[in-house]
Amino acid sequence: MVVTAPTVEKPASAEELARRLHEAAASKLAVAPVGGGKARGMGGVIERCDVLLHTTRLDRMIEHSQADMVVSVEAGITLEALQAELAKTGQFLPLDPFHSPGHTIGGLLATGWTGPLRLRYGSPRDFLIGIRVALPDGTLASGGGRVVKNVSGYDMMKLHYAALGSLGVIVAASFKVFPKPLHDVTVSSHGGWTDIDRALGAPVAPAALELFSDGGVLARYSGSPDAVDRVVTELGWRRVGGEVWDEHARRGPERWARITVARAELPKVMEALPPGAQWWASPGAGIAHWANTNDAGSIRVVRSAVEARGGTLVMLAAPDEFMREVGAWGAPPSTLEIQRRLKNAFDPDHVLNPGRFVV
Amino acid sequence: MPLPQPVAEELRRIVGRESVIDAPNDLRIFERDGSIEGAVPDAVVLASSTEHVSAVIKVAAKHRIPVVPRGAGTGLSGGAVTIRGGIALQVTRMRKILAIDPVAQTALVEPGVVNQELSLVAAQHGLFYAPDPSSQKACTIGGNAAENSGGPHCLYYGVTTNHVLGMEVVLADGSVHWVSGDAPDRVGLDLCGVLVGSEGTLCAITKIKVRLLRIPPSIATMLAAFPSIETASQAVSAVIGHGIVPAALEMMDSVTVGAVEAHYHAGYPTDAGAVLLVEVDGIAESTRELMAAIGKILGENQGYAIREAQTPAERELLWAGRKGAIGALGRIKPNYYLHDGVVPRSRLPQVLSAVGEIGEHYQLPVANVFHAGDGNLHPNILFDLRDRQVLHQVEAAGEEMLRAVVELGGALSGEHGIGLEKSAFMPWIYNPDDLGAMHRVKDVFDADGILNPGKIFPDPSRKSVHLAGRTGLAVEAKWW
Repeated sequence: MVVTAPTVEKPASAEELARRLHEAAASKLAVAPVGGGKARGMGGVIERCDVLLHTTRLDRMIEHSQADMVVSVEAGITLEALQAELAKTGQFLPLDPFHSPGHTIGGLLATGWTGPLRLRYGSPRDFLIGIRVALPDGTLASGGGRVVKNVSGYDMMKLHYAALGSLGVIVAASFKVFPKPLHDVTVSSHGGWTDIDRALGAPVAPAALELFSDGGVLARYSGSPDAVDRVVTELGWRRVGGEVWDEHARRGPERWARITVARAELPKVMEALPPGAQWWASPGAGIAHWANTNDAGSIRVVRSAVEARGGTLVMLAAPDEFMREVGAWGAPPSTLEIQRRLKNAFDPDHVLNPGRFVV
Repeated sequence: MPLPQPVAEELRRIVGRESVIDAPNDLRIFERDGSIEGAVPDAVVLASSTEHVSAVIKVAAKHRIPVVPRGAGTGLSGGAVTIRGGIALQVTRMRKILAIDPVAQTALVEPGVVNQELSLVAAQHGLFYAPDPSSQKACTIGGNAAENSGGPHCLYYGVTTNHVLGMEVVLADGSVHWVSGDAPDRVGLDLCGVLVGSEGTLCAITKIKVRLLRIPPSIATMLAAFPSIETASQAVSAVIGHGIVPAALEMMDSVTVGAVEAHYHAGYPTDAGAVLLVEVDGIAESTRELMAAIGKILGENQGYAIREAQTPAERELLWAGRKGAIGALGRIKPNYYLHDGVVPRSRLPQVLSAVGEIGEHYQLPVANVFHAGDGNLHPNILFDLRDRQVLHQVEAAGEEMLRAVVELGGALSGEHGIGLEKSAFMPWIYNPDDLGAMHRVKDVFDADGILNPGKIFPDPSRKSVHLAGRTGLAVEAKWW
């Protein structure tokens, strides 16, 4: 087989991107959308790739209304650039993904990656209010709008969120944004699961709560000063600087997997990890990241334990051979047939990321 | 038109003789939901189980008969109206709370469970179900999921879709599926997210797994009067501009306040141009601090007669007035027509003044009672249906109000759904490519169009006069 390097396309507008996508699709060329390239390892090994379609030049902030607490951006803007703009007005997007910095908004929406703040704010699934997507037939289709509450038509945001560019290429998005908390305190302990239970049982919920495989705990409390001070005093943990969260977000190992399960099941699932496993978790959200995933056998063991409890183990990065061996996604969803029909309706020639997503 | 006898017999074999209603007089009570337009179904089938729902839909699919899933019928957009005839598939007999897991903080319910009942039962575990439509004493969780309903407390807590973890659904071929579940970030496409809010056009919902939240230890509720709707709107923006997102932030205009006060005696100041109801929750330290800050901001923005509920009973009364407001409007006129357009919050003063002008132009009283924090309007146009002439005026006024909403960058519906009444206006906010993408979804789930036909998408055979020359706005609006 002759392998030729894929063509690199960097369109400067949504319309041009849609045109390039359509041209490729019309010629049955396989297209891999690329944002910040931070999640390139996620999903199955791509079967074919003729065109790398970058969104990096779509990096405009379209509109930020401070009073409405709504922002619209093009997909190629980086999370850091967006946060810097929002910070000028004391606002922020509560998204702190791992393997930062350098994620684009489009990439984060396509992959569904989140971070510790998910505990308090939910994921973009909860605060994405509008979306614009280029489809393989060359059309640009929008859903939602620029209002914080909206049931006008189908929820197209949900259709494309975390679909790994399988149905279309996200070119723009609108979000509900949030005021930066008045008070933001981080504390740490080494009490493992016991301290996790304490923090989750306290009357003030943490904004973020992370557990590490060495038993370390990081908790972030934000909100009204009196409430934050009360809970921090009650816990009696050591105060640390807020920059620990930036360090934490930089984690992005060469091999890693994401485990998700109902939060009550997470302690049992983590017990199934082999001795010496390096991991960190958001126990309140039911999400863990496992770093040194070198052994296919132990991944299979953990995956079957997770799936037996209704959860998932998804590979976020691994060498191609290894990824083929263990499989990126695990057991297919029971609705696979309907998902395939959706794929066919939006990408009938399967030109988008072939082999990478579930459909 | 009655169903063909063999079809009616098939349905009777599934659910039992007594559970199929097709006598013309009995059908009439299923003609409407909470909106204006009605249509009598050909038959009503009372389902008691997922198996019933599945079998009924299979029969409907075989004979290409429309099926419209129906809960309590409190919807405000015509979602449960059988506009193309067929079967109204009533799920209110499926009303069991199947499980509450206090550790996982989840509940598994059948679709006919009444919204408020779930919170009452969950309260035994110190938990509650956050989405709280004003009809929560009657409306069902199934209907809430189908419409992606909101409510006053959705400002902070989010709407129905943010609280549904998974659902058992019956598709147009009668097949039964679970979508999503307890674990976050499922593998594959988020079908659950697409089906919530699909207004019965993609599936019937037979079980819902929802997230429950801990009842906050402290709740504080404040009422403030303002000279006008405009000043109250500015106060709303000021509160949120200070980085405070209350649990609820509701507005009532003077027309509403008058009616509510006459009915509930809740202590609303009747001389006010508008009243704001603000609620915060959390631990006592936090609610005290927030209430002090909010009270100060409201005062700085021309708020007066500011008072905080001192007892739970007082709080209940303040909310009874708000949640019962629409009923109380019956004191003014027997009927109302309610739109729920939503605008960016900062546009509230403009859109409300437009709403006022439109009401005056048509000489129709308008009462505003709405979720100000979300920018979600609820202008109630008040009228008397016995005056047949007025209905056309009412519809025209409602359409103009929605038009004002869209022109200010808003959307057609914040929480009631598009249904029948707003489908013709969808081209105002979505261009043909946008609607085309939604159509692809519809075709994947229901290629034959048997599930709740005539809803959401514009029907070229209806309202053609209204629509003339009014399409294509989204294209010109340059949203992106």
